[in-house]
Amino acid sequence: MIRITTGFLLFLCRDFSLKMTKKTKQVPEKKSQAKLFALLKPYRGMIILLVVFTLLGNGTNLVIPKIIAYGIDSYSHGHFILRTIITEFLIATFIIFVFSYLQSIVQTYASELVARDLRKKLSDKISRQSYAFIQKSNPSRLLTNLTSDMDSVKMFVAQAVSTIVSSLFIIIGTCVLLLTIDWKLALPVIMIIPLIGISFYIVLKKARVFFRRSREVIDWLNKVINESILGAAIIRVINSQTQEYRKFIAASSEARDIGISIVTLFATLMPIIQFVANLAILIILALGGHFVIKGSLTLGNFAAFNSYIAILIFPIIVIGFMSNVIARATASYERIDRVMKAPETSEEGSLEESLKGNIEMKNITVSYEGKPALKDVSFSIKAGSQTAIIGPTAAGKTQLLYLITGLIKPQEGTVWFDGINIEEYKKELFRNQIGFVFQDSVLFNLSLRENIAFNDNVTDESLNKALETAELMEFVNSLPDKLDTMISERGTSLSGGQKQRIMLARALALNPKILLLDDFTARVDRETERKILNNVIVNYPDLTLISVTQKIAPIKNYNQLILLMEGEVVATGKHKDLLESCPEYIQIYNSQLSTSHYELQS
Amino acid sequence: MNYNLNIPPEDTGKKKSTLSSLKIMFSEMVEEKRTLLTAFIAMVITAAANLMGPIIIGYTIDNYIQTKEYKGVLIFSGILLGMYLISIAAGYVQSKLMGTVGQRMLFTFRNNLFKKLQELPVDFFNQNKAGDLISRINNDADRINQFFSQSLMQFVRLILIMIGAGIFLLSINLPLGAAALSPAIIIWAFTKFTTPWVKHRNAVNLKNVGFLSSEVQESLNNFKVVVAFNRRDYFRKRFDEANQNNYSSAVKAGVANNLFMPVYTLLSNIGEMVVLAFGIYLISTNHFTIGLLISFLAYINSFYNPLRQLAALWASFQIALAAWDRISRILNMENDMPYVEAKESETGASLMSFRDVSFAYPNGKEVLHHINFDLERGKTYAFVGPTGGGKTTTASLISRLYDPTKGTVLLNGRDIRSYSQDERTQKIGFILQEPFLFSGTIRENILYGNEAFQQYKNGELANILREAGLETLLQRFDNGLESKVDITGDGISLGQKQLIAFMRAVLRKPDLLILDEATANIDTVTEQLLEEILQKLPDTTTKVIIAHRLNTIASADEIYFVNTGEVVRAGSLNDAINMLKQGKMAS
Repeated sequence: MIRITTGFLLFLCRDFSLKMTKKTKQVPEKKSQAKLFALLKPYRGMIILLVVFTLLGNGTNLVIPKIIAYGIDSYSHGHFILRTIITEFLIATFIIFVFSYLQSIVQTYASELVARDLRKKLSDKISRQSYAFIQKSNPSRLLTNLTSDMDSVKMFVAQAVSTIVSSLFIIIGTCVLLLTIDWKLALPVIMIIPLIGISFYIVLKKARVFFRRSREVIDWLNKVINESILGAAIIRVINSQTQEYRKFIAASSEARDIGISIVTLFATLMPIIQFVANLAILIILALGGHFVIKGSLTLGNFAAFNSYIAILIFPIIVIGFMSNVIARATASYERIDRVMKAPETSEEGSLEESLKGNIEMKNITVSYEGKPALKDVSFSIKAGSQTAIIGPTAAGKTQLLYLITGLIKPQEGTVWFDGINIEEYKKELFRNQIGFVFQDSVLFNLSLRENIAFNDNVTDESLNKALETAELMEFVNSLPDKLDTMISERGTSLSGGQKQRIMLARALALNPKILLLDDFTARVDRETERKILNNVIVNYPDLTLISVTQKIAPIKNYNQLILLMEGEVVATGKHKDLLESCPEYIQIYNSQLSTSHYELQS
Repeated sequence: MNYNLNIPPEDTGKKKSTLSSLKIMFSEMVEEKRTLLTAFIAMVITAAANLMGPIIIGYTIDNYIQTKEYKGVLIFSGILLGMYLISIAAGYVQSKLMGTVGQRMLFTFRNNLFKKLQELPVDFFNQNKAGDLISRINNDADRINQFFSQSLMQFVRLILIMIGAGIFLLSINLPLGAAALSPAIIIWAFTKFTTPWVKHRNAVNLKNVGFLSSEVQESLNNFKVVVAFNRRDYFRKRFDEANQNNYSSAVKAGVANNLFMPVYTLLSNIGEMVVLAFGIYLISTNHFTIGLLISFLAYINSFYNPLRQLAALWASFQIALAAWDRISRILNMENDMPYVEAKESETGASLMSFRDVSFAYPNGKEVLHHINFDLERGKTYAFVGPTGGGKTTTASLISRLYDPTKGTVLLNGRDIRSYSQDERTQKIGFILQEPFLFSGTIRENILYGNEAFQQYKNGELANILREAGLETLLQRFDNGLESKVDITGDGISLGQKQLIAFMRAVLRKPDLLILDEATANIDTVTEQLLEEILQKLPDTTTKVIIAHRLNTIASADEIYFVNTGEVVRAGSLNDAINMLKQGKMAS
């Protein structure tokens, strides 16, 4: 009796929703499929082994009904030898066991190996890419590439290869055996194959739409979950749990409805397939019975027909679904491949010159999706000088610092260091000379020591100097494990100012020629700030300092102030000059004037 | 309370908790009783109709084919066709109903999990890595989903078919049936002994999967630091390690998961062999017929084929159970911030009072010691002090993100724990140090959690914003209220995020508004504007400002100096500055 189970089918096609983006559609599917199969090339040995084991195991499987038929017939003819039958049966059974287990082991190894190697290749590729590339490709999409896309490729290796081989083998083998036993009975029985194929094709075509939509809904669900985790604090402050729950219910209900649609579709398909398969049994009984009565078919072969039909149905269904596993793997691999093939943003400069600290920006323009963030910006900074960049929110200050580190590239214009184009420097050496204190605190799930001595070149001496300068010594000594204290991912056990100072220490530990501070003082109290900035000047006398800040008081004596507004340089000069010439600057100055006498006092 | 999901709770029967949460899940099925009953009946009909097949075939062989009466063969073929038609109808009803129930249960399960997440306090989210949590909820819940939507109903159905086939086998011929079923006992024993091992291997693998994805998440989200500090190798090294661990645990789990199928096949083949040998012996002693032997062989398949399918399901069942363990850790978490019955409130009390409040973070040192202060209505308070002194912690206690370890926080003279969440959060607004935006539009973000304004059209809203003085802030966004917010993107600067968070809080008109360095990354000109907006709040609004910039605290009525776990009132701004200048006070 043939039982086909909805669940198994759903299992096979669960992920078959094709996340086909417009871009993938342009690539001919045949070609991408070829690429997918080409992926297996280096594992040729394993795949061959897999195919061999599969064929041996499944081939032997086909012998069992034969043995039964032989047993029944030999008995009816009166020359039944029990021992031979049992021996044959045992041997066959044992062979099946050995090879099917071997097959599953090879299958597991091969698929995990392919996934591991591909993951490594992809992560290596990503690790060589530029910051701009990562932002553009979106970290969460890259995460999907490295996890669920990999899973579908893995599934392809684990299931599709051996399943298709064995299914085809069984279908062809069974058909041949049936035909050799009695072709007149076999022909109408084999007719069920195309019938099942057609009903499959129709249902799967309909299901495709639902599967695609269910993918979208899952993304939606995940987005709501992720935001509710990342925004946990604000949700509790505002008490908007119910609102979040409603958002979730909306997505969740949609997921349920699509799920029910899919279930309904398959609830129709399953009984139909079952019925068609049962028709075959009916044919065997009615027609086969007729042949047996006529004497053209033996009872044993009649029984064998019944056994083979049970074997035949399953592979047909499986093949139908495997085509979808392949389709999904193809789409996934296409996405992985696109990341692999992405040109590596040129960081190929080779100049190994050490920096003096002269920086010049010429006619720099940076824009995002057509919106300019920086417009025709030019200025120059002398080695060893102190420069402050001030300006309102979203003026492009941070972007300017990103340009100086080469994290992003301008669409127009060039950044020069000591008269040499930034592109020509070998980036590794170049970045070892620039310390960047980011505005947001980025801490890694590492020990405090590793977080600060984040770069390999940091010596204990420079680490200590950095700790002293950032006024962290006392804090470090108050920790039970000192520098070996583990920092949690979001640094939740640390205050905003402590995180900021750790970030500073990390930058200083490089012994940089140029130090970039992005709103460093925002979260550090005045007194500590003053001490720290003093320490920096004393301990790192030759440093070129570029500081993005909101406060005017500490930067009055800087060699140069650059006032940035809406992506344009409004004015450059010393504090005194700007007070005389620049109304915007005066406005900012006045906004801070109310407390400036305190600043002057201290 | 320990909210860390990776630290096992003090073990008092972990199994029990898994079981009890499973029980909760099944108790939800009870609501579907009637549907389940119908589906069950349909299932029995399908199974019976299909199981009748072999016996009809066997009967036909013995009584008509062997006696060469073709008419009888045709009649029984007709009966068989009838059975199949019944089975197709019942099969449809069964799959449709079961599938629907499965989807609805999943729906409930998902919702319960999410609800639980919403119930848990901030502390839970601080003690767990975001990446790990997200992986747990997305990945593990998905695995349970898969099991539920695909496999659970199978279990029931397959077992039903097996029972039916078993009954047929035993009733056709007891000794032969018993012999045929004996390998199943070995299968049962085998499964029982290997299951814990298989489950363990899957649990280890799931943990590694979670680890891998949180590793990627951490590195990619912080890629600018990785690039700027030349630590691409760091990313590679960490990833390779996670990748390798994932590989070896996945192989181990795979080898274990794949063990069932060959073993089950082996034993079911042996069952078949026993039937053949023993059956023929019985026929030779005239205790059995050939026709019955053929139907018997068919029933053997009806018994062992489902068993083999169970083998395939068993592995996914083990994966689901391992995932379930990880999820039920979340479901078993209890919020440790209970509602407390109010004692009578102090009369004429201040808006907010701390009474001998001490606080320690879980597994940490005490960060606040015996704090006492009162905040009066309509006044502006500044909390100043060196970094790490306890300012944000104090603010978190005011807004009850945490409960004090000792002492009481009073709101309007009543224990803050006696307020409903709704009431409390309406009274207390808190602009967090790190602003968070939800993906959507600016409009959605500033109206976030603000039921009252939700239904306003953009035009009406513009009026409200104008009255609150927020209009000019909105002009800083290209498309005003409809500007898009993408939480991952660089499109919005930190300062802009702070502006949105500011608008969001002000529109709610709280009695007490805490600004925790809420304007740290906003330029001073805009900040003056914010100051004016704050002035427009009702006179009774109490403001607590945590800031480093002196101008933002210059207008405060009172200044508290917070350091080394003490909160001290400073006489004047000068006083506070002196304290700051002295740096850290002796503790």
